[in-house]
Amino acid sequence: MSAPLTDRDDDSALAGEYELGLLEGEAKAQAERRLATDAAFVREVERWRTRFAAFDDATPPLAAPEALWRKIEGGIAGQPAAVASAPSLWSRIWGDLAVMRGAAVGASLAVLVLAIGLGAAIRAANKQPVMVAVLLDGDRAGAVVQAFADGRTVLLPLTSISVPEGKVLEVWTLPSRERGPVSVGLMERARTLTLSLKDLPAPRADQLFEITLEPAGGSPIGRPTGPVLFKGNTALAL
Amino acid sequence: MSTSSQTDGAAEAQVAAALARCAGGDRNALRVIYDLEAGRMTGVARRLLRRQDLAEEAVQDTFMRVWRAARTFDPQKGSARTWLYAILRNSALSILRDEGRFTSDEDKQESAPMTESALALLPETSALRRCLERLDAERRAVVVLAYVHGLSHGELAGKLGVPLGTVKSWVRRSLLSLQECMG
Repeated sequence: MSAPLTDRDDDSALAGEYELGLLEGEAKAQAERRLATDAAFVREVERWRTRFAAFDDATPPLAAPEALWRKIEGGIAGQPAAVASAPSLWSRIWGDLAVMRGAAVGASLAVLVLAIGLGAAIRAANKQPVMVAVLLDGDRAGAVVQAFADGRTVLLPLTSISVPEGKVLEVWTLPSRERGPVSVGLMERARTLTLSLKDLPAPRADQLFEITLEPAGGSPIGRPTGPVLFKGNTALAL
Repeated sequence: MSTSSQTDGAAEAQVAAALARCAGGDRNALRVIYDLEAGRMTGVARRLLRRQDLAEEAVQDTFMRVWRAARTFDPQKGSARTWLYAILRNSALSILRDEGRFTSDEDKQESAPMTESALALLPETSALRRCLERLDAERRAVVVLAYVHGLSHGELAGKLGVPLGTVKSWVRRSLLSLQECMG
C-alpha cells in the first residue's frame, strides 16, 4: 500500500474514479478529452467498466413498461440513426473511434481496423457489404462508404462536419482514371446518404471515394473544385 | 460484462448484432435491445436514482443515445453490453448530479449495512466480491457506495464522517488494490 505511485497507477486510478462518477468540473472535462484522444486511457476506463460490471449484472431487473418503449419510439421517430447527438456524450462515445488519432496509428492501419470492425458488425447483422471504404482526413475518420451486394452504396458520417453558409458537401468516386471523378451524392450537412452509383460499375477494391466542399447546388463543372475534406479507398469487407 | 456463462455470451452476441442493425437504421433492432436489456437497465438506473420516474428517464435517454450513436460502437474495442451500460451509467449519473440532493431513506442508512447489502448482490465466486472483501471496511465502502449508489466524494465524506481529502485518498488506494487483485 505504501509503494510509490507510478504514472500508470495514477492513470488507472483516474480512469477508475471517472467510471465511478467521482470526477467533477475540470478533472472530469479533462478525462473526457483524454477519452477522445488517448487510447491507453480508453482501455483503462474499459477495464474498470468490465471489473465493476458484475454489480450491474447482479442487480435484479425491474419491469420495463410498454409505455416507456412508446416514448423511446416516439423520440426516435423521424430521426435517422446516428445523425446528430448531444456534444458531450457524442465526444465521449466518439472517443471509442477517435482512439486512432491519439494512438498515432497510421492511417492505413486505422482503415484496416475500422474495416474489420465494421465488417464484423455488419456481417453479424446479416447484411453483406462487399466493399467498405473509410474516408479519412489524415488519420481522422470522417465517414464510411459501404457497398452492398444488392448494388446499394451508402455513406455513413462518423463525425459532424462543419459546412459554411452557401456550401454543400459533395461525394465523389473515381471509377477509373480515364473517366475521372464522378459526383455520386450531395448533402447540406453530414448525414446518412445513399449514393447514386446506378450508372457506374459496382465499386471494385481500391476505388477512391472523397467528400469535397462545393458551392450550393454542387460543383458547377462536374469535377471537384473545393477542398477535399475526407477521402479513402475501398477494401474488401472482411 | 462477464461472459463466462453461455447465457451471457448469447446476450452479448444478440445485443452486438442488434446494435449493428441499429447503425443501419433498423428500428426493430432497437426494440430487440429493449426486450433483452431494458428490465435490467431499469433495475440499475433505479439502484442509482432511487426513483422510478427518474430511472425511466435515464433508460429512455440511454435508448435515444444508443440509437443516435449505434454506428460508433466498435466491437473490436469492447463488449456491446458494457457499452450499453456505460451510456446508461453516464446518463443516470448526469440526472443524479443535476437533481442535486434529494433525500430518501437510503440517505439516512449507515454506510456499513448499505455496503454489505450491495456486496451480497454479487455471487460468492465473483472476483470483484473477493477482492472487495480484502479491503478494510471503510475503504471498501467508498468504492461500493460510489459505484452502486452513485454517491459523490462529498456525499461519501458526509456518510462516513471523514474529511473530503481522506475519502479521495481512500478511493484511490482502494482502486489500486482492486486493480492489483483483479488484474
